[in-house]
Amino acid sequence: MIANILDGIVFGLQLGLLATGLTLVYGLGGVLNMAYGQIAVVSAMVVAFAMDAGLPVLPAVVVGLIAGGLVGLLLDQTLLRPVYRLHEEPRVLLSLLLTLGLSFIIDGFLIWRYPLQALSLHIGGGAIDILGVPMRRGSLVASAITLMTFAGLFLFFRYTSLGLAIRSVIEDEEGARLVGITPQKMMRLILILSGVLAAVVAVTRSMVTPVDTTAGLSITVFALIVTVVGGLGSVAGAFFAGIILGIINVVAASYIGSYISLIILLAAAALTILIRPAGLLGVKE
Amino acid sequence: MSQQLTEKIDSSPIGANVAPSSRSLLSLLIPIALIGILLALVPLWLGDSRVMMGVAVLGLAFVCYAIGFNVIFGSTGQLFLCVGALAGIGGYGAAILADNVGLPIIVSILLATLAATVVGGVLSYVAVRRSLGVIFTGIVTLIFSMSFDTLLLGISDLTGGDTGRMIEAGRGTFLREQIPPYYVMLALVLIFLLVHGLLQRSYIGWAFRALRDNEVAAELAGIDVARYRVYGALVGAAMLGLAGSVYAMTEGRMSPTTFGFGEVDVVVLVMLAFGSIGNLFGPVLGAVTFTFVDELLIEFGQLRTIAYGVLVISLFLWMPNGLLSVLTSLWRRIRQK
Repeated sequence: MIANILDGIVFGLQLGLLATGLTLVYGLGGVLNMAYGQIAVVSAMVVAFAMDAGLPVLPAVVVGLIAGGLVGLLLDQTLLRPVYRLHEEPRVLLSLLLTLGLSFIIDGFLIWRYPLQALSLHIGGGAIDILGVPMRRGSLVASAITLMTFAGLFLFFRYTSLGLAIRSVIEDEEGARLVGITPQKMMRLILILSGVLAAVVAVTRSMVTPVDTTAGLSITVFALIVTVVGGLGSVAGAFFAGIILGIINVVAASYIGSYISLIILLAAAALTILIRPAGLLGVKE
Repeated sequence: MSQQLTEKIDSSPIGANVAPSSRSLLSLLIPIALIGILLALVPLWLGDSRVMMGVAVLGLAFVCYAIGFNVIFGSTGQLFLCVGALAGIGGYGAAILADNVGLPIIVSILLATLAATVVGGVLSYVAVRRSLGVIFTGIVTLIFSMSFDTLLLGISDLTGGDTGRMIEAGRGTFLREQIPPYYVMLALVLIFLLVHGLLQRSYIGWAFRALRDNEVAAELAGIDVARYRVYGALVGAAMLGLAGSVYAMTEGRMSPTTFGFGEVDVVVLVMLAFGSIGNLFGPVLGAVTFTFVDELLIEFGQLRTIAYGVLVISLFLWMPNGLLSVLTSLWRRIRQK
C-alpha cells in the first residue's frame, strides 16, 4: 500500500507539474494553449541537440529552459496578439484553435525532420529505499526537482510583489488595472514562465520515460485535464489535483489492473469537473 | 468568436427562411440534388482505381462526420470532441454485434447507431444539466474520447487492440465491392443533409437558432434550451454512429486510429473551419476540398501536417466564418451590382 501511494505521488507530481504552466496561462489570460505539450517537446529536442553537440547535461538543460521561455515569449508576441483583442469565451475558443494550428506546425516539423530524436536523461545509480520501498533514482530526482519548482512558485506567488501582481490579475483583471498593474505585461511574463515550466516538464519526464517528437498531444491533454480538475489559475490546485489523480491511477492499477486504471483516472477527472466545475481550488467559475 | 460563427447562418441565403413553405423546400432540395449528382459522377472518374475509391469512400465518411458534428456544434453550440469515439461506438459496436453475437448486419448497424445516440444524448444531458460552457463541454467529451480509446486497447479480444480487427459479416456482398460502398455512403450524406436541412426549417431549427444567438433571450422567450441542446446531440450522435458503422462495414477492418481523436476529431475541425461552421453545406465543401487537397499533398508526408497548421491559423485569423460564407458574401456582392 505504501509502495502504491509513493508511486502515485511520484506520478502525481509529474501530472501536477504538467498542469501548472497551462493553468497559469489559462487562469490569467483566458488563453488555452493547445501547443503547450509541443513547447515541452521543442525544449526536450533543444536539450537533446545541445547534448549531442557536446554540452554537459546541466548547461544543456539550461539552454532547454531558455528555449522554452523564448517559445512562450514568441507566442505572446505573435500568435496571441489577435487573441488578446477578444474576451471571455470567444477568446478561449480562438486561442484554442490558433494554438492547435501551431501544434500541427511544430508536430509536423519535428516528426518530419527528426523522427527518431528523443530525450532521455539517465540518472545513474541503483534504487533508493524510501520508507522501506525501493524507488528508482530517476523518478526520485524528477520528483525532487518538481517539488522544488512548486516550492519556488509558491514563494514567488506569495512573497514577491510581481507574484502578487500576477495573482491579482488572475482574481480580478479590472481591479488590477485600476491599481496600476498592466495585465498585458503580466501575461507576457506568465507565457515566458509557462514555456520554462514546459521545459521543466520535458526534462523531468525524460528522467523517467524518453520524450520523443510525438509526445506533444498527450502532454497537452493530460495537462488540460489536471488543470480543469485543479481549478483554473491555481498552482496549488494543479499540485493537489495531480497528486490525487496520480494516487487514484496507481492504486487502481494495482488493485484492478491494466487499462481500467486510466479509465478510472479519466472518470475521476470528469466527475470532479461535473461536481465542481470551478475545480478543486478554483478561483472563479 | 462564437458570435461571429453564429451570425453567418442568419445572413446566408440557405436556411434563412423560417416558415416551411414549398419554396423553401425547393431551395433545400435543389442544392442537395445538385450535390448528389456531382458526387455521383466521381466513380466515373476514379472508379478504375481501388485505392482512389477507398479514398473517396473515406472522404464521404468524413462528410458524414462533419455533418454530424455540425448539427451538434454548429447548430447548438456544444463542442463535442468525441466525434471519432461516437463513430467508433457505431463501428466497433456493429462489428461486435454482427460477428461475435451473430446478428444480421442491418440489425447490428441499427443497434450500434442506437448505442452511439444514447451515449451522445447522455453526454449532452450531463453537460447541459451542469451548464458546462463550450470549453468544459469540450474537455469532458475529450476525456470521454480518451476513455473510449483506452477501452478499445483494453478489451483486445473484442477489438483486436492496437492492430485492430476484421469484420467477417458482409464479406462477399456488395458492401466490399469497389464501387457500391461509395453510393451507400453517398446516400447517407444526402439523407443527413436532408435531415439537417429539414431540422433547420422546422420549429426545432428555429429554437436552435434562437438558443445559439442568445441563450438567455431564448430561455426568456419560453424555449427549453436544455431540451433542444439534447435533441441536437441526439440527432448528431445518431448520424456519427450510423456513419461509423456503415463505413466500418464497407471497409471490413478497423483499428483505434480509424476513429482516433487525432485522425477524426481534429480533421473534422479543420474541415469545418474550411467549409463553414453552422452552415448546412459547409461540411460538404470542407470535407470534399480537404480530401482532395490531402490526396494531392500525400507525397509530402509530414509537410502536410505543417500545411494544415498554417491553414487552420490563417483560416481562423482571416476568415473565421469559413470559405462558404466568404463565397456567399462575394456572390451577393456580385448580384447586387
